[in-house]
Amino acid sequence: MIRNKSMKRATLASAIVATSAMVLSIVPAQANSTGVTATSIKLGVSTPLTGSAGLVYGKVPGAMRAYFDYINANGGVNGRKISLVIRDDKYLPTLAATQTTNLILKDKVFALVGALGTATHSKAYTAAALAKNNVPDLFINTGFSGFANKTKYPTTFMVLPTYNMEAKVMAKVIKDNFPGQATFMLAQDDEFGADGVAGFTTAGHKFTATPTLYPQGTMTAARAEGALTALGAVPGKPVLVLFGTTDVTATLLKAAEKLELTKKFTFLAGSVGADANTLLALGVKPTTIDGVISASFLPDAKDLTDPYVKQFIDINTRYNKGITFDNYVLAGMNSAMLTVQALRAAGKNLTRAGLMSAIEAKGSTFASAGLVPLGYSATSRVGYNGYWVSQLNAQGEGKPYGGKLVIYTTDSGAGAVEISTFVRPTMPKNGIPTNS
Amino acid sequence: MKKAGKVHKPTTTRKRLLLFVLFGWLLLILGDRVGELELYQGSFVATYALAITSVVLLTGYSGQLSLGQSALMAVGAYAGALSIFNAGWHPVIGLIMSALIAGVFGLILGLVAARLSGPYLAGTTLALAISLPTLANQFPILGAEEGIAFDVGPAPARFGEDFSQYKWFFWISALASLIMVFFIVNLLSSRYGRTFKAVRDNPVAAQLSGINVEQLKVSAFAISSGVAGLSGGLLVMLISGVSPSAFPLSLSFSLLGAAVVTGLYNLKGVILGGLVLVAIPEIADSLVSRIGGSDNLTTVLPGFLVSALLILAVVFTPNGPGHLLKKHH
Repeated sequence: MIRNKSMKRATLASAIVATSAMVLSIVPAQANSTGVTATSIKLGVSTPLTGSAGLVYGKVPGAMRAYFDYINANGGVNGRKISLVIRDDKYLPTLAATQTTNLILKDKVFALVGALGTATHSKAYTAAALAKNNVPDLFINTGFSGFANKTKYPTTFMVLPTYNMEAKVMAKVIKDNFPGQATFMLAQDDEFGADGVAGFTTAGHKFTATPTLYPQGTMTAARAEGALTALGAVPGKPVLVLFGTTDVTATLLKAAEKLELTKKFTFLAGSVGADANTLLALGVKPTTIDGVISASFLPDAKDLTDPYVKQFIDINTRYNKGITFDNYVLAGMNSAMLTVQALRAAGKNLTRAGLMSAIEAKGSTFASAGLVPLGYSATSRVGYNGYWVSQLNAQGEGKPYGGKLVIYTTDSGAGAVEISTFVRPTMPKNGIPTNS
Repeated sequence: MKKAGKVHKPTTTRKRLLLFVLFGWLLLILGDRVGELELYQGSFVATYALAITSVVLLTGYSGQLSLGQSALMAVGAYAGALSIFNAGWHPVIGLIMSALIAGVFGLILGLVAARLSGPYLAGTTLALAISLPTLANQFPILGAEEGIAFDVGPAPARFGEDFSQYKWFFWISALASLIMVFFIVNLLSSRYGRTFKAVRDNPVAAQLSGINVEQLKVSAFAISSGVAGLSGGLLVMLISGVSPSAFPLSLSFSLLGAAVVTGLYNLKGVILGGLVLVAIPEIADSLVSRIGGSDNLTTVLPGFLVSALLILAVVFTPNGPGHLLKKHH
């Protein structure tokens, strides 16, 4: 009896499914200029605004929006004003997947810009079917080299150089400047640290001891002190490579202060873990950060002689009220400036496919604050492809290491680290792109 | 769902099956009438409802307070992902493995947990929730922070080209949850299920009546883990891959909170619990956009709403809205 009933229902259900499938098939395919009208362009970002990651990276989306507001106030892009929908994913993959899906299905954005995080964005990319819907996924804030894989992420454009490149550049700096010194590495035990360790291996650098890998969130003050005490016994002035987030760099530097070992080591901190403002805010003494070597691809946010920095500070004051200008605000505005150029390069008839082709064709010529070249081409989705090496002073300013700006370029593979003569394009007047 | 404790058990089970089939049919129709986003959200509702079921089963029915449900979900999620991604098994087998491996893991854990109760058990499971996902970073086969893919593939071609991925997710998660909840509801209304409640309410009296308390607690832990494992598998199916950060401690707390809102002592409200978890951010979102608030308000409001709901639930319907309905009858 029941079986009969449920069979009948199953038949009925199948009929309903079939009918709805037919109805759905009449609906035309989604136009590839979703989110664009004659007067507006809607962009979206899923990124951490709250939680521990939000504390560090939460300024990035607001900075992008501030730059877009500035462009809108100056006529927009081909008469269209840019709006940015910001959704908080708390740095959680589940939320990143749902928030990105919301951006596509509910907010109906034209493109994504500035998504942050490897674990989060790799899930969001598939869950929100970005590849299937051909949604441009611009200037993502992660250096995980896997995102440069065009087959897996056909619509993604990276902006950060990969962690692998950074490690290779660091290896060269050690080789050129610290020959004969013992070298050690403390790295976060995930794809970020693993990419870094792999980069050093590719560059042929051998550490004095196997790199110490620690899971995220486990570098306590006690552990840091233990690690530094052991290394403190090594003769000479060992080079300590720190490949982790800024809070871990702070924990290690504070441990060095406690053990009075700050002058015992040469600290070489990765770009992710060397934000001077954050280090100072986390209680590291100015005298301790004085001398820390790091790598960067953008100018220092405190370098008021840099025209891009000056312009962005001005925009920040006017359109991002109450927010202190720092490296994260600089990075956000820089990505927004690249976005505006990409939208301009795609022309008046804005389509998703057109936008991506425009970046492939012209992206490497876009003006940006970056001091290293952009690597976009028909075959490469890597953004900045190199680093310059900086040294922090007690004021938290990053100055060129050795007193002279040297730009290193390389790739994520076996390619050599080369010194580049690259000079970045002049900033468009008032920071408003006019490219086509 | 029929009231527990009816004498004519065969009829009850049959009627219950009919109800579940009817409900499934309703979902099927509903699935054809809503948009992609609603289907995707519906999949999360089904998945969370299942996870809440595991909490209700463990805490409400067997009296063991676990804060480690997210870790058990992670075990199921990794087991399923490895079965599909590494072993190349069919997704259905993958989901079964999610439940099975998490169940076995729960069984082992239950053997330890049976000796603990109250805050000690809560503390142990809390430690598990914190440490287990991070441990995944230690084994390269688990894919570190990027994790491993959990791909059930597109819907079969016979459903037609326009049968979307989200609808496929909805069908899988709703069906898997319905089957599992049906199994649990039946279990709880059986003699075995009643002994759960006996142990919860008075373990000494239960033991004197000849019930093996320790064994029962262990089996409750194992079954609850199996349910949590399946929901973990479904959750990572929805986000297309598993990684440690998909199972934060906050997930355990959210599930427990939702279980309290829906009533810890019966399963009638689990869908409501799932709805609460999915709908609250949406409600906050539309509220903020209506009153023209800032992004900051959107981020703060969901937490506030859940807290308010939790307090209201504890004050007005301590046994859950399902229980309230029963009282009105």
